[in-house]
Amino acid sequence: MAVTEDRRRIAIRLTVLQVGCVVVFAALGISFWLLQIVQHARFEEMAANNHQRTLALRAPRGILYDRNGQVLVENRHSFTISLVREHTKDLDRTIRLLSAVAGLDPNDVKAIVARHRNEPTYRPVVIVDDASLAQVAAITARRLDFELPDIVVEEVPTRQYPPLAAHLFGYVGEVNDAMVLSDDTLKSGDLVGQAGIEKIYNALLMGEDGAKRVVVNSLGREIRTLDEEPPTEGKRLQLTIDYDVQKAVEDGFRASQDAHLTNAGAAVILDPNTGEVLAFASEPAYDPNAFAAGIDRATWASLTTDEQHPLNDRAIQGRYSPGSTFKMAVALAGLEEGIITPDFQVHCVGGANFYGRTFKCWKKGGHGTIDLRHAIEQSCDVYFYTVGNMVGVDKINKWAEVLGLGVKSGIDLPNEVTGLVPSTQWKREKMNDKWYAGETISVAIGQGQVSVTPVSMAVYMATLANGGTRVTPHLLKAVDEGNGWKPAPAPAPQSKVDLNPEKLQAIRDGLWMVVNAGGTGGRARIPNGEVAGKTGSSQVISNEGRVAAGRTTKDLRDNGWFVFFAPRDHPQIAGVVFLEHGIHGANAAGIAHHILDTYFAKQQGRPLPPPPTPAGLHFDFSDPYARAGAPAVETN
Amino acid sequence: MFERRLYYHIDWAMLAGIVALCAIGLAQIFSATGGFSLFYNTQIYGIVLGLFAMGLCLTIDYRSLADKSHWIYLAVLVALMYVLFFGAVRGGSRRWIDFGVANLKANLQPSEFAKAALALVLAKFFGESRRGAIGREDLAIAGALTAVPLILIARQPDLGTAVTLIPVGFAIAYVAGMPMRIIGVLALVGVLVAPVAWKFALKDYQRERISTFLDPAQDAKGAGYQQIQARITVGSGGLWGKGFTKGTQGQLRFLPVAHNDFIFSVLAEEQGFAGVLVTLGLYLFVILRALEAARLAKDRLGAYLVMGVLASFTFQVIYNIAMSAGLLPVKGLTLPLMSYGGSSMVATLAAFGLILNVRMRRFTN
Repeated sequence: MAVTEDRRRIAIRLTVLQVGCVVVFAALGISFWLLQIVQHARFEEMAANNHQRTLALRAPRGILYDRNGQVLVENRHSFTISLVREHTKDLDRTIRLLSAVAGLDPNDVKAIVARHRNEPTYRPVVIVDDASLAQVAAITARRLDFELPDIVVEEVPTRQYPPLAAHLFGYVGEVNDAMVLSDDTLKSGDLVGQAGIEKIYNALLMGEDGAKRVVVNSLGREIRTLDEEPPTEGKRLQLTIDYDVQKAVEDGFRASQDAHLTNAGAAVILDPNTGEVLAFASEPAYDPNAFAAGIDRATWASLTTDEQHPLNDRAIQGRYSPGSTFKMAVALAGLEEGIITPDFQVHCVGGANFYGRTFKCWKKGGHGTIDLRHAIEQSCDVYFYTVGNMVGVDKINKWAEVLGLGVKSGIDLPNEVTGLVPSTQWKREKMNDKWYAGETISVAIGQGQVSVTPVSMAVYMATLANGGTRVTPHLLKAVDEGNGWKPAPAPAPQSKVDLNPEKLQAIRDGLWMVVNAGGTGGRARIPNGEVAGKTGSSQVISNEGRVAAGRTTKDLRDNGWFVFFAPRDHPQIAGVVFLEHGIHGANAAGIAHHILDTYFAKQQGRPLPPPPTPAGLHFDFSDPYARAGAPAVETN
Repeated sequence: MFERRLYYHIDWAMLAGIVALCAIGLAQIFSATGGFSLFYNTQIYGIVLGLFAMGLCLTIDYRSLADKSHWIYLAVLVALMYVLFFGAVRGGSRRWIDFGVANLKANLQPSEFAKAALALVLAKFFGESRRGAIGREDLAIAGALTAVPLILIARQPDLGTAVTLIPVGFAIAYVAGMPMRIIGVLALVGVLVAPVAWKFALKDYQRERISTFLDPAQDAKGAGYQQIQARITVGSGGLWGKGFTKGTQGQLRFLPVAHNDFIFSVLAEEQGFAGVLVTLGLYLFVILRALEAARLAKDRLGAYLVMGVLASFTFQVIYNIAMSAGLLPVKGLTLPLMSYGGSSMVATLAAFGLILNVRMRRFTN
C-alpha cells in the first residue's frame, strides 16, 4: 500500500508543479504583452532614440562681395573635434586620452565640457575648432580602435576673411544664452555675428542649418544615413566697398606703420552723392579669422589688454578733436547766417585778443589781411577766431550738425558713438553752467569741447561736396536672396539743406587751394584730380601738460587729420584719413593721395599705383612741441 | 539491450518541440552574429553533438546509469576541481577545460554536466530509500550532495550556474515527499538569511547588480544599462516584430551578448509578441511533456530523475526569459536550447535524453 500511497503523493505534487509552470508561463506571457503591446509606443521611441541621431549640418554664412563682384569674405572647410557625452563611459579617461592625442591641456578641455554640462548629452560639445590635419588624423586612428567612441570629427564651413577691413566685417562667435532666449530663431551653439557687418546683417548672412538623420550603432559610429535636409546657405551680400580703394587705404596705413609713424588711425571713404562707403578702416586691427574658429584665451586676452585697443572701431567709436578741419563748419555758419561774405577780410598779426585773453595764430607773425578762401588755404586761426566770435557757438553748433558733426552718421554698423559740438544749451544741461563767449574762440578752430568721429568727418566732407545733403553712409549694395542680385534700397539722407551754391563755392575754392595752391595739403594733389581738402592736427594734451608729462612711454604726439573730396566741382569721392599721433595733417594727406590716386586710376582705366613705400610718403616726423623745448617724447 | 520496440515509445512530440527550439535559437544566433559566423557553425556542431549525446543517453537504461551515478557524480566533481586550478580563464572566471587535437580546438564546461550528474545521484539516493517518509537525515545528505558541486561552481565564479543546482535538489526532494513543514521552515530560514547573505556572502558587484535591478536608472551606463536596453529591445518589438535580422537593438549592439544571455530579447524584438508566444508555448509544451514523463515513470527513480533534470532546465528557462524582459536582475544564465554555447547544448540535450529514456522504458522491466 505504501507504493500506491507514494504514487498518489507523487501524482499530486506533479500536478502542483504542472499548474505552477502554467501559471508562471502565463505570467511571462502577460509581462511580454505589457511590454510589447501596451507600452510598445514608448519603447519603440526609446529604441529609435538609441539608434538614430539627428546631426546638425551647419549652414555656410553668406559670401560678401565688393561693389565690383570681387569676393571679400568666403567660407572654407574646417574640422571640429567634438565630444558626444551620451556615449561617454568615463569622462576623465576620455578627456585624458583626447588631450594626449590632440595635444590639448586637459584643464581647458574640462572647462569646455563644464560650460556645456546643462545641454542635452546627445548634442556634441565642440572641443577643438579648426583642428589641424595632424589632430584629425590622430583622433580618427583612435576612433577606429574604438578607444574614443564618444569623440566625433566633423567638417564644417568656417568663415575666411581677407587681411583687411577687420572692423568692417567684424567677426562671428558662438551665440550666448541671453541671445538664444531673446531670439527664437537662434539656438545654442549657433555661430552669429558679434561685430561689424557680420553682426548687423547676421539675419541675412546666417542661413539655415540643415539636418541629417543617421543610424548609429552602440559605439556611436554612423552606419547609414536615413535622410538628409541640406543646409541653406546664408544670403550673399554685395557691399558698397571697392576692394581696390580699401586696399589702398590699408596699404597707406601699412606704410605709416612701417615708417614707425603710427599704427593707429581710421579712414572712411564715401561716394558723397549716395553715401555708399567705398572703404572703411580702423587701425590697429585684429584677425577675424582667429574668431571664426573659436578664439583661444591667450589671443583674446592679448586683444583686450592691448593698450591700443585693437577691438575698438576707431572709425565709429573714436572721438577726437577735429582741429583745423572744423574751420569749414565755422565758415559755413558765418556764410549761411549772412554774418560774413566770402570777401570778408581779417587782419592777422599772429594772434588776437578776445575777452581779455590772447589767442595765437599757428603762424608766428601772422597772415596779414586775408579773405575766406585764403584763410581756409592758410588755415589762419585768427580769421576763424574772429568769425566764430561773430557767429556764436549756437550757430556753429547748428551748422556743424547740418554738415553731420556732433550727430550720429547712421552707418549700418553696430555701436556708433556720437561726437560733440558744444552749445549753450548743452553746457547748461550737461555742466549746469553758462557758456562763456571766450570758449567759442577755441571751438572756432576745432579745439575745446569739440569732438568728432572719423565717420562723421567723412559725412561732413560729403555734405560739403554734394551741397547740403547729409547722406547716410551705408555698406549694403545688393542682396542675393537666391534669385539674383536685388539692389538694397539706399537709406534716406539724415537731413537735406539747400546750401547757397555761391557761398559754398568759396569754401570749396579754399579747400582746393589747400591742396593745389599754397596750403598744407599739397601732398594729396593728383594731376587733373582737382582734389579739395583740409589738414588738421589736434593736440592730445596741452603744451604745459606735455612738458609736465616729461619722458613718458605714452604717445602724446598730435593727431593728424586729412579730410577731402574730389573733384572739386563734381565730387565723386569724399572722405577722411585720421592718424592717431600722426603729428601732422600733411602725413595723413600723403596717405589720402594714394587712396585718391588709386580711385582715379581705376576710374580712368589707368594701371593702379603700386602700394606706397614708407619713404615714398615722406612722412614729417618733426614734432612742433618737441622743438618748443619740451623733452623728446618716446614713440613706440 | 536496445530493443527495437523501444523506438515506438520515444516521445517524438517532445523531441520535435526540442528540435524546433534549437532551430529558433540557431536562427536568432544567425541574426545576432551577422550570418554564417563562427558562432553559428559552433552552435550547429553543438546541436549535432548534443543529439548524439541524447541518443547515447537513450541507449543505456537509466537504471544502470543510476547504478553508476556515484561514479559520474565523482567524475564531475573531479572535473570541477580541475577547472578550479587548471581551467581556462575567460572574462574573469575559470569555467572551461580547453583541449585540442592538432588544429581542432574545443573546450568543455564541466559545470553544465554537473546538473545531470546531480539529478542522477539524487534520484538514486531518494529512489532507493526504503523508508516511507523522508527524514531530516535524508535531506541533510541530499543538501550536502547538492552543496559540494554548487560551492565548486560558485568558486569559479559562476554563481548563475551554481544556483541552478538548487532547484534540482528541491524538485527531487519535493516530489520524493519532503514534508510541507520542512518546506515552510526552509522558506522561513531563507527569508531570514537573505539580509545576512546580502551583507556577507555576496560580492560587491553582485550586490550592485541587485540594487541596480531595483532602480536601473541609478546606473544607466553600467549595470543598469543592460536591463534598460533589454526592456527597450523587447518593448520595441511590438506585435509582429521588426523582422528577421532587422532588429536595431541587437543588430547595432545596444544590447550586449545578443546571441547568448539575451537571445530571447532579440527574438522578442525581431519576431514580436507573436514569436514570443510561439516560443513560450514550445517551452511550456516541452516542460509539461517532461512532467508527463515523470508521472508515467515506471519507478520512483525514473520520476525523480526526470524531475531533477527538468528542474534546472525549467528554472533556467524561466529566469532567463524574465531577465530578457528586464524583469529579473541580469545574471549570466543562458537560455537552454536557444542560447549560444556548445557545452550547454550538449548537456541539455543529453539531459533530455535521460527524460526520453525514462519515458521510453516505462513498460520494461
